[in-house]
Amino acid sequence: MSWDQVLELIKSILITQTGIPNLVFKEVIMMCIGLFFIYLAVAKEYEPLLLVPIGFGIFIVNFPLTPLMGFSEHGNPELIRFFYKYGVEWEIIPCVIFLGLGAMTDFGPLIANPKTLIVGAGAQLGVFITYIGTLFVGFTLKEAASVGIIGGADGPTTIYLTAKLAPHLLGANALAAYSYMAMVPLIQPPIMRLMTTPEQRRIKMRQLRPVSKREKIYFPLIGSTLIILLIPAVAPLMGMFLFGNFMRECGVVKRLSDTAQNALMNTVTIFLGLSVGATMQAEVFLSWKPMLIFGFGLLDFIVCTFGGILTVHIMNLFIKEKMNPLIGSAGVSAVPMAARVTHSEGLKADPDNWLIMHAMGPNLAGVIGSASAAGMFIAMFQ
Amino acid sequence: MKNIKTLIFQSLTGLCIFSALLICLAMPGTCWAAFGEDMEKPKPEFTRQGDKIIAKLIPRGKSTRVNIEFEVLGGKLTDVKGMDFALAERPEVDVKNFNSSLFTIEIGNVSPPGGEVKVSVTSQFFTSSTKYYVFNEKLEKQQWMKPEVHNLSLPNLVRQIVIEVKDGGTFDSDGVADGKIFFVGGPRDSFWGYALGTLFIRFFGIFIVLGVLMIGMLISGKIFQSLEKNVEGTVEPPVSPAAPQTVKPVAVPAPEASSAPAATSEAEIAAAAATALALRMTAEDQSCEDEITAAIMTALHLHLFGQRNSAETDGYSQTAEAAETGKPAETELHSKPFVQGASGWVQQGRGRIMESRLQSFNRK
Repeated sequence: MSWDQVLELIKSILITQTGIPNLVFKEVIMMCIGLFFIYLAVAKEYEPLLLVPIGFGIFIVNFPLTPLMGFSEHGNPELIRFFYKYGVEWEIIPCVIFLGLGAMTDFGPLIANPKTLIVGAGAQLGVFITYIGTLFVGFTLKEAASVGIIGGADGPTTIYLTAKLAPHLLGANALAAYSYMAMVPLIQPPIMRLMTTPEQRRIKMRQLRPVSKREKIYFPLIGSTLIILLIPAVAPLMGMFLFGNFMRECGVVKRLSDTAQNALMNTVTIFLGLSVGATMQAEVFLSWKPMLIFGFGLLDFIVCTFGGILTVHIMNLFIKEKMNPLIGSAGVSAVPMAARVTHSEGLKADPDNWLIMHAMGPNLAGVIGSASAAGMFIAMFQ
Repeated sequence: MKNIKTLIFQSLTGLCIFSALLICLAMPGTCWAAFGEDMEKPKPEFTRQGDKIIAKLIPRGKSTRVNIEFEVLGGKLTDVKGMDFALAERPEVDVKNFNSSLFTIEIGNVSPPGGEVKVSVTSQFFTSSTKYYVFNEKLEKQQWMKPEVHNLSLPNLVRQIVIEVKDGGTFDSDGVADGKIFFVGGPRDSFWGYALGTLFIRFFGIFIVLGVLMIGMLISGKIFQSLEKNVEGTVEPPVSPAAPQTVKPVAVPAPEASSAPAATSEAEIAAAAATALALRMTAEDQSCEDEITAAIMTALHLHLFGQRNSAETDGYSQTAEAAETGKPAETELHSKPFVQGASGWVQQGRGRIMESRLQSFNRK
């Protein structure tokens, strides 16, 4: 073999088998975006459980020639495509995550004060306002619904609905939802202060009544019966959510409940994060739509917060025992971050005003509300 | 009245903010073409069943296939094809309103030539407000026409649109009365009407769903509470076997109000709170729940007794019942000095209790 042939061989290897000559500017930008989300997750601890795998997914999938999100010559899905196909495309992972969330959730505050369910409904205002807003700028009906649900501030619901209605927007929607959920402490307080007077923020609410074990056991059964009868399309999400909660509360399957809360939840979170991150390839992501989605996502969160607080104000006109309007902001789901924000804002107004448990009610109602909104959209497009 | 005024002001402020945001977001592009590919473009597939031709397609804004049946009375339905909307795009029509594609319908054997046929288009997908627009590119003006149609309701939520077409008339694209009709058009629904209508219905639908759930929970809550009361009334409260061992050292009878200065109870409060924290930290499961509760109650009990004494000394009154139950008396809510009097231990303890309760909601 002559030197020329050796050099030609090396050149051929460099061009066809390494990524360096195939690296393009758009992919570098996407890698930087991936690294930015990794930074937010690691350094700032913004939703690290999701943003670490999502960020890393964005980072590795944008290297050229990587066999991750494509199909092999025989038509078999490559590694992350495999996770995506069977986990997200088949709508399994979001439902399994809901199972884990149900197993982690104590519905006590909501059962003790069911009125807060209405706050959870009011906080879905942004979902529908954003839906209309996105239609104005040219999104299709299905895309608009998938963007609107970002304001529900519930990651699995957003992913579930987007995978069903507009899978091409999955990465942008999921990223917007999780980013803004992490930024709830920055987004919500100014709106809360704008929407309430200092006296209103100081309203003290009566301590919640104790909820018996029996009530907690019956809640998932009653809840699933009513919700699924009214919106059958939401059965995969709410069914799993309330099944997880039933396992937790019935107390006879502690091992299953523990697995759903920890091992299973952690496992699917890894695959979900990587799959969602890997959908953000340069040629798909770098366009107007994802940029607009981030803009509308912010609007969505703002309007949802506004809607929740407004609902409490309206309810206060009719009820005898006034509610602190700050708890309205917790209606946007984002459990428990939104409730914590409500609590800290309440403490700022009055250091002895402990709102955390009162805010958990609308917070949990928000989860049910956003899942119901998703169910409504699914039914609408059937 | 003041509340309503404040509410209106707050609502208007909020509305202004998000309207402004919406306008800003709407600036970059206001046409569908801005996003390139029309991803929801219906792609009909046609099959013939006797005299009928059935189009199967996924309409815009839907995820499932629908059937549209074409039939002709007074002639022979020769063929039906899908037509690209781009060929018929004119400023007076909007593609968004045509959910289920445009169709070119070929009709033969019109007898007598120049006669009239009835074209019926049937589907479960149509509503009472569905119209049928006709396109004729050979016309110089008004190429898009809105004919009078009969929108009939059939069983099983099926609707039938019937259009009368004259051979050689304005709806016939070949323009001559030759016994053949070439008819182009498609069902039209109002996009914005649908979008806004569903928005309104579904937003209030969420209120209805959660309202029903709320009523269900209120009723079941009342039932469970009355059941619990009955059980409490008939059964002796169970005594945890472990409770006396843990609680005994700190659950000493509360000192008399006159003989228990706040300063001396601080040490006892500290002891009780420390017991609670130690139990919480060492407990791997919920087995020590009763002991922890007992220790916390003791700490709060001692604290409230101490606080009552100091309040009485300072001139603030509080009922003995409030002190015993820990439920604040009416005057307490507005008496700042009383609140500020809470010891660091109690503040710390309450913070930890709340934090501990919050763990069950924490998804991290």
